[in-house]
Amino acid sequence: MIAIFESLERCFQTRIVSQADSVQLRGQKRVMTTCTVKNGVIEDFSKNSLNGIGVRVFFDNKSWGFSSTNMLESESVKQTLENALELAKASSKLKQHKMMFEPVKKVTADVSIPVKKPLRNFSAEDIVEIPLEAYKGAKEAGPQVADVKATYISIEDDKYFLSSEGSRIHQNISRVLLFVDVIAKSNGLFCPASENLGHTGGFELFDKTSPYSLGKTVAEKAVRLLSVKAPPSGKFRVVIHPTLCATLLHEAIGHPLEADLAMAGGGFGNRIGELVSSKLVTIYDDGRVRGGLGYFAYDDEGVECKRTVLIENGVLRSLMHDRTSAAIARVSPTGNSHAWDYSVEPLIRQTNIGIEAGDRSLEEMIEDVKEGLFLKGTFGGQADVNADFTFGFQSAKRIQRGRLCEELRGANVAGNAIEVFKTIDAVGKKVVLRPGACGKSQFAVQGRVVPAIRCEIMVGGMGG
Amino acid sequence: MSLDKGWGLLSDLVHKTIRVLEKKDIVHAEAFFMSAQTTEIVIRNSEIHTQNRVDDSGVGFRVVVADNKVGFACTNTLSEKAVLEAAEKAFALARVSSKVPDFALPKVCKPPKVEGLYDSRIAEINVEEGIDIANRMIRAAEDFDQRVIAKDGRVNFECGWRGIANTSGVDFEEKGTKAMIYLGASGEQKREVTGSCYDAIFSRTADLKPEKVGKNVGKMVIEMFKPQPTKKFQGTVVFGPEAVSYQLFNVLVDALKGENVVAGRSAWTGKLGQMVASEDLTITDNAILKEGFASRSFDDEGCSSQKTILLRKGKLESFLHDTTSANALKMRNTGNASRFPSGFSMIRAIVGNGYRAKPETYPSNLIIQPGDETKEELVSEIRKGVLVESMAGFAQPGSGVISTQLSRAFYIQNGEIQYPIKTGMVSGVAFNWLTQLSGIGKDSKQFANAVVPSLRVEEVRVVGV
Repeated sequence: MIAIFESLERCFQTRIVSQADSVQLRGQKRVMTTCTVKNGVIEDFSKNSLNGIGVRVFFDNKSWGFSSTNMLESESVKQTLENALELAKASSKLKQHKMMFEPVKKVTADVSIPVKKPLRNFSAEDIVEIPLEAYKGAKEAGPQVADVKATYISIEDDKYFLSSEGSRIHQNISRVLLFVDVIAKSNGLFCPASENLGHTGGFELFDKTSPYSLGKTVAEKAVRLLSVKAPPSGKFRVVIHPTLCATLLHEAIGHPLEADLAMAGGGFGNRIGELVSSKLVTIYDDGRVRGGLGYFAYDDEGVECKRTVLIENGVLRSLMHDRTSAAIARVSPTGNSHAWDYSVEPLIRQTNIGIEAGDRSLEEMIEDVKEGLFLKGTFGGQADVNADFTFGFQSAKRIQRGRLCEELRGANVAGNAIEVFKTIDAVGKKVVLRPGACGKSQFAVQGRVVPAIRCEIMVGGMGG
Repeated sequence: MSLDKGWGLLSDLVHKTIRVLEKKDIVHAEAFFMSAQTTEIVIRNSEIHTQNRVDDSGVGFRVVVADNKVGFACTNTLSEKAVLEAAEKAFALARVSSKVPDFALPKVCKPPKVEGLYDSRIAEINVEEGIDIANRMIRAAEDFDQRVIAKDGRVNFECGWRGIANTSGVDFEEKGTKAMIYLGASGEQKREVTGSCYDAIFSRTADLKPEKVGKNVGKMVIEMFKPQPTKKFQGTVVFGPEAVSYQLFNVLVDALKGENVVAGRSAWTGKLGQMVASEDLTITDNAILKEGFASRSFDDEGCSSQKTILLRKGKLESFLHDTTSANALKMRNTGNASRFPSGFSMIRAIVGNGYRAKPETYPSNLIIQPGDETKEELVSEIRKGVLVESMAGFAQPGSGVISTQLSRAFYIQNGEIQYPIKTGMVSGVAFNWLTQLSGIGKDSKQFANAVVPSLRVEEVRVVGV
C-alpha cells in the first residue's frame, strides 16, 4: 500500500513535473470477485487483481494529457509521466485560448468506508451460496422459469491521489452487488424480469433482502407477466414507481445536469436561476450518501464530495462540475470528477443523485388519476444532451378511476425530460436508495435516492 | 518498454506458468494474454479536449479440475509471483465451483491466414497525426454549414497482441491494429437546437476518411431542423444501417448465441432448418473477412476462425458457438468465443473485457447480405412510412420486443421524405419484422461487430402524440 504512494511520490522529484502547470497522479489496487450461477451451475467464479497508475498533466494553461499503465516499476512510471506531458504539449500548440482549472485547497486524508461485515471474513464457499440461493428462490416460482442467471460481484478498491498542489489522499472502499435475471417461457412467449441489489459496504447488503427472496420475487414477476397483456401506446398520465424513477432521474435529468453535457448547448445550458421543472421538484447529488453505490469521500481531482443542490423547487441552481467546467462557470467544483479505474481519465459523473421526498402517499397519487398507468421496474435506457430519453419499464398496471386494475407487460417510455419534469404534479413521501450504473464512455457505479412521482409520458407499448 | 519486447516477456511468463499448472491435479488449463497500446484524442465542443494513452497488458487463467469444475483469475501485475498467484487462484476457485456440464476447450487446429489485420502505419502513428485527423473531422463538419457544432468525438488507435495457450497444446498469438473515428454534432439556428447526430468509421488500416465523417455528420444535422410530431399509424419503415447495427443486431445476437440456445432462452431454440425470416435474408458470421474490424485467425479460446452461414434465404442453418455450447448441442464449433463483445452488459462493464473475463459466444463480423437497392429506391416505393436512421433504447432480452425512441427519423409520404420526426417511437417484435421484410439496401456499413445494410419492413407500428 505504502509502496504505491512512494513510487508516485518519486514522480514529483523528476524534471518532467516542473515543466507542467499541474500534475495529478492516481494509483489503484483493485480486487474484484465475481460468481455467476446460471441455471444452478456455477458457470463463472473469478478473481481479478488489477493494479495501475494514471497520470494527468495540465500544460501551458491550455491542454490536458493523460496516460496510464499497469506496469509499476519506476522506469514505466517515468515513461507514463513523459507520455502524459508529450500528449498535453501536442495539442497546446494548436490551442488559441487559455483554459482554466479551478484551484482547490490541498488535502491530506486517509479514508476507509465503514463496513459492518467486511468481505475478508467471508470464504469462497460463503460467496458461492449467494447466487445459488438466488437461483433456488427463482426456481420456486414454477416450471415456466426457463432461465435464471444470478451474479455476485464485490469490488475492493484502494485508491491513491497525489497532486502537485500537495494533496495526498488514500481511500479504501468496498462495494457489493447482486444481479438476478430471469426469463420465463410459455408457448414460445418470453418474459424477462430482473432486479439488483448493490451498496458501498460489505456482506451486510444481504441482511435486509436475502438472495433467496430476491430470486423468488424476480422469477414470480417474470411468470406473472406471461399471462398478461402488452401495454398500450400513446401519451399517458403515469405514476412512476421509485425503481423506474431512478432510471428517469439518472438518464433524463441527471445527464443534462452534468456540466460537460450542459455546456455543450441545449438542455440546461445557461439556464441557472430559471424555472426548469415543476415547483414540487428538488434534485441534488451527494457523494456522501451512506451506503449509496456512488459513495466517495473525494473525487479523482482531489475535491471533497458533498451535497450539491441542482434544482430547488423547480429552479435550476447548479450543474455538476469538475475543476475545468467550474472554472468556466466561475463556481466551486462539486466533487463530480470520477474515473472508473486508474486506466481512464476522470469525467463529470453523478455520484448519488436524489429527488427530495414530497408529501403524497402512493395510494393518494393513484387515487387522483382517472385513466393512466402505474409503471414499475427498469430495463435501463439512454438520453442525449438535449434531454431526449428512452428507457424500459418491466411491468405496468392500468389505473382506472383512481384504482389499480390489471397488470400489463413492460415496454419503453420516451420523451424530453425537461418537458416531462414540468408535468410532475405529485411527489411521493417515501424515498428509496437504489443501486445504479452508467456507461458515459466509461463505466461508473452510482446511487439514486428516489420517491415515486406522477407525470405525463409517452409509452411505446404494443397493446390496445 | 516496446510493445513487442513486453509481449515476449509476458509470453515467457505465461508459458512457464502453464507448465507449473500442468503438474497440478487439473484436467485443463488455459491462459489468454494480451498487451495493447491505445492512443486516443477526445473532442469536446469543437475543440480537442484531451489526449489519452493507455498501456494495458495482463493474463487471465481458466483452470478446470475433475468433474468439469472451472475457476478463473486474472492479473495485470506481470511479475513471476503475481502471474503464478493468479493461476493458483483460478485453481483454488475451480475446486469450490460446481460441475459445468459439457465444458470443453479447443483441441489443436491450424488457424487460417487472415489478411489485413495489421497496418504498421497505425502502430507507428503519433499523437500529432491523431490530433490532425480530429481537427480535419471537426472542420469538415462545421465548414459544411455554419449552424453545425461538433459536440463530441474520438479518434482512437490501438495496436496490440493477443495470445492463447492451453494444456491441450493450443498455442497461438496474433498482432493486430484497429482504428476508430467518430463524431457527434448538433445544429443551432435562432433558438432551435437539433438532436445529436453521429457517424463513425471502424477500420483495421490507417486509411481513414475524417473529412467524409465530418461532412456526413454536417449533412445529417442540417436535415434535422424543424421536426414535426407524427400521429400513431401502421406503416412501412426503412431501418438504416446504424439502427440495424444496434437494436436489430442485439435481437439477432440474443437468438443466435449458442449459450442462449443451451439455456433455452433463445427465441430460435429448436428452430434449426426452419424458416425464421423473409427469404431475402441471408446472414453470415465471417471472422476471416479481409480487413474486417472483428476479423481474427483464431477466436478468444483458440479455435480457428471461419465463415459460417447462420441464415440462408431466411432458413436458420447455424448458431454461434464456442467449444462448450457446440459440445452441449453436439454441433460444430463456429469459433465464436469472444472476450471483446461490443453489446452492453452491466456485468461485463464492471468486470471488463479481454484478459479480465472468460469468453462468451458472440459474433465476429455479423454480415447481412446486401440487396441491390439504394436507400432512395427503398424510400421511393413507400406510400406512408418512416425512415429510421437511428433509434434510442434497448431491445428487451429474449422476447425480441423493440420499443424505441426515434432519434433520427423522417416521415415519408408517397415515396418522398417529408420532415424529421419529433418525439416518436416504433414498437413491435423484431422477430416478426424479419418475416415482414420487403427490401434490403446495398448501403452496407462496417460497425464493431457487424456489416449491415438498410432493411425495409412492412406493417410496423409507429407511435406518435
